[in-house]
Amino acid sequence: MSNDSVVDIERITKRFAGHVAVEDLSLAVPRGAVYGLLGPNGAGKTTTIRMAMNILIPDEGTVRLFGDARGGRHHSARIGFLPEERGLYKKMKVRDVLVFLAEVKGVPRAAAAQKADRWLERLDLGDWRLRKIEELSKGMQQKVQFISTMLHDPELLILDEPFSGLDPINQQELKDIIVELSRGGTTTIFSTHQMDVAEKICDHVCIIAGGRKVLDGLLAEVKRVHGGTHVAVAFEDGDEKAVAILADRALVAKADDYGPYAELAMAEGADPQRLLERLVQSGARLRRFERIEPSLHRIFLDKAGAEHAGPAQEVQRGRP
Amino acid sequence: MDVRKVAAVVRREFVERVRTKWFIISTVLGPVFLIGITVLPALLAARGSGSTIAVVDEGTGTFARHLVTQLGSGNRFQATVVSASAGNERATLDSLTRLVQAKLLDGYVAVSPATIESGQFEYRGRNVASITNMAVLESTLRQAVTTERLTRRGIDAGLVQEAQERIHLDKKRITRQGATGETGEATFFLAYIVGFILYMAIFLYSVNVMRSVIDEKQTRIIEVLVSSLRPFELMLGKVIGVGSVGLFQMAIWGISAFALVAYGQVLFGFLHISPEQAAQVQLPVIGLGMVLMILTYFLFGYIIYSALFAVVGASVNTESEAQQAQMPVTMLLVVAIIMFPMILNDPGGKLAVAMGVIPFFSPIIMPIRATASEVPPGELAVSLAVLVLSTFAVVWLASRIYRVGILMYGKRPSLKEMVRWARES
Repeated sequence: MSNDSVVDIERITKRFAGHVAVEDLSLAVPRGAVYGLLGPNGAGKTTTIRMAMNILIPDEGTVRLFGDARGGRHHSARIGFLPEERGLYKKMKVRDVLVFLAEVKGVPRAAAAQKADRWLERLDLGDWRLRKIEELSKGMQQKVQFISTMLHDPELLILDEPFSGLDPINQQELKDIIVELSRGGTTTIFSTHQMDVAEKICDHVCIIAGGRKVLDGLLAEVKRVHGGTHVAVAFEDGDEKAVAILADRALVAKADDYGPYAELAMAEGADPQRLLERLVQSGARLRRFERIEPSLHRIFLDKAGAEHAGPAQEVQRGRP
Repeated sequence: MDVRKVAAVVRREFVERVRTKWFIISTVLGPVFLIGITVLPALLAARGSGSTIAVVDEGTGTFARHLVTQLGSGNRFQATVVSASAGNERATLDSLTRLVQAKLLDGYVAVSPATIESGQFEYRGRNVASITNMAVLESTLRQAVTTERLTRRGIDAGLVQEAQERIHLDKKRITRQGATGETGEATFFLAYIVGFILYMAIFLYSVNVMRSVIDEKQTRIIEVLVSSLRPFELMLGKVIGVGSVGLFQMAIWGISAFALVAYGQVLFGFLHISPEQAAQVQLPVIGLGMVLMILTYFLFGYIIYSALFAVVGASVNTESEAQQAQMPVTMLLVVAIIMFPMILNDPGGKLAVAMGVIPFFSPIIMPIRATASEVPPGELAVSLAVLVLSTFAVVWLASRIYRVGILMYGKRPSLKEMVRWARES
């Protein structure tokens, strides 16, 4: 484990009545990383994040934040946390809530108010700052809560499913902010099951399924090691003539039809050049033929799908 | 402990609560109620022209007129004599009944030589439920009948008059400072009011702490909070914040009470109430020492109960669940209020002394005892010592259950589970 890890989780296990939510999980988040914690529903993402935040205590293993095992609260001024279950004081005014949540992190009142105004303005909520939370739409409330995680300029952001419930415009805005903060040196961990989002902004990923780590590392590295050779193909008018070729397991290990195009995983040792030759010979009219990196989505399905046996269930009741 | 974080919680609880309609309404209603109970009796004394009643004279000679004079001497009745000639009694009574039905008359009573002998009188009227009016009517009748009977048997009217002279028992309280000007009624009334206000204040404000805990749990904001500050800091901030709202409200009430005592005469003048009528209203005087003692008991009573209610809040998921879960805690307070009459009856008795030591009752019982009579300093010291120590113990225990409970969702924990939380956390 690197000494420069901001979050260092070592072999943690958490059991709830009847089942194991997280088992023997280790991960390290380097300083400045945008770290995606990926996994299907019930994989243990939220439980892992709660243990990282010291809301749950692991049954086994240790969690170190900034190299210190005393738990999240001791570093609360350095951490911004967005829990999976959103919620704010409904009767309070937007700005008052933000100032309060910054104050309990130790930010002086005046500074908190100033920052709150700036962020509200940036996320198009300026006109709403004196309204009560309950008057806001769900998406707006979520933006307010996201702002509350950043008011104290944390070094580490821990966001549980930050994109769920946001429209594409706000998702984009959130992505931009995360990337921007990361350039400024902020470390971000976020969990999601939306692979396209993770693919765009993560530099590190960790896929977990059934409470266990499936793989982790730099995104580029993960793609190189686990991806194999992938090709995107699209045909002018139907793929009847190519069906036989695509079904040749000596050549194509797996084909995913996305509609407009298909993503092909080449068989071990097979040459894409050879595939192109055969397709041309078959007389199929190609619209697209491109060597591509495997999508994270594909890797996720391969890895998490295989590991992820049995019905997943979200854990409702915690026991520290 | 981070004082600034606690202060932020205190500030939020205070500001958000003081802004609510509930707070504004109850703060304004307090003094209005106070003015009401002070001014109303005086106003009633001023306006009350009394009930109009008729005394039907069926041949008693001077007795009916004598009775009417007696009844008219207070300000409860306006009585007139209606003479019914022999053989005409039925018709007279019927016409009076119609007058009562038409609300031109409140009621009537018939007197005849026969009723004076038998002592069986009958009052017929619209309102026979007014206990004081009926009591006055009865005692006036008794006095008049006694006079009449004695006079008829030849005893000198002057002598009878002298023997009938009313007596009056004045009740004054003796404290260590000597006899006070307070009457027994005023003392009783004051003790009752003090006890009731304490009960209401402790109950309402500690339930507010519970609500606040449930709100944070229900909105899940608690996860953000516990990752920012220690649960104990959060609970402490809540208890102080809600408590200072209580003290703030009481201060407003207290100041208006003092103003009422100081400027009461101005108010009476404004409402055209004469000094004689105003004199009927007894404003009890509470010393500074008493105020401090009541505030101390309120403070610790509030802290101990808000800690208990915080545990209730941490152990449930919704407000409706809390309705049921708060029963055991509410019962403790209700026991104290049920004891009111017994404590007031004998403020120095064994029951009162025992209840005054038990920390869940003493915050209400001791102030009642102290206002109703004198409490020995030794008993006061023991009661306070037990209360303060128990408050620390309860808060310590409650905070341990609280910090586990706030992050738990799902089935409500049993008492056994809560004990385990307290031990393990």
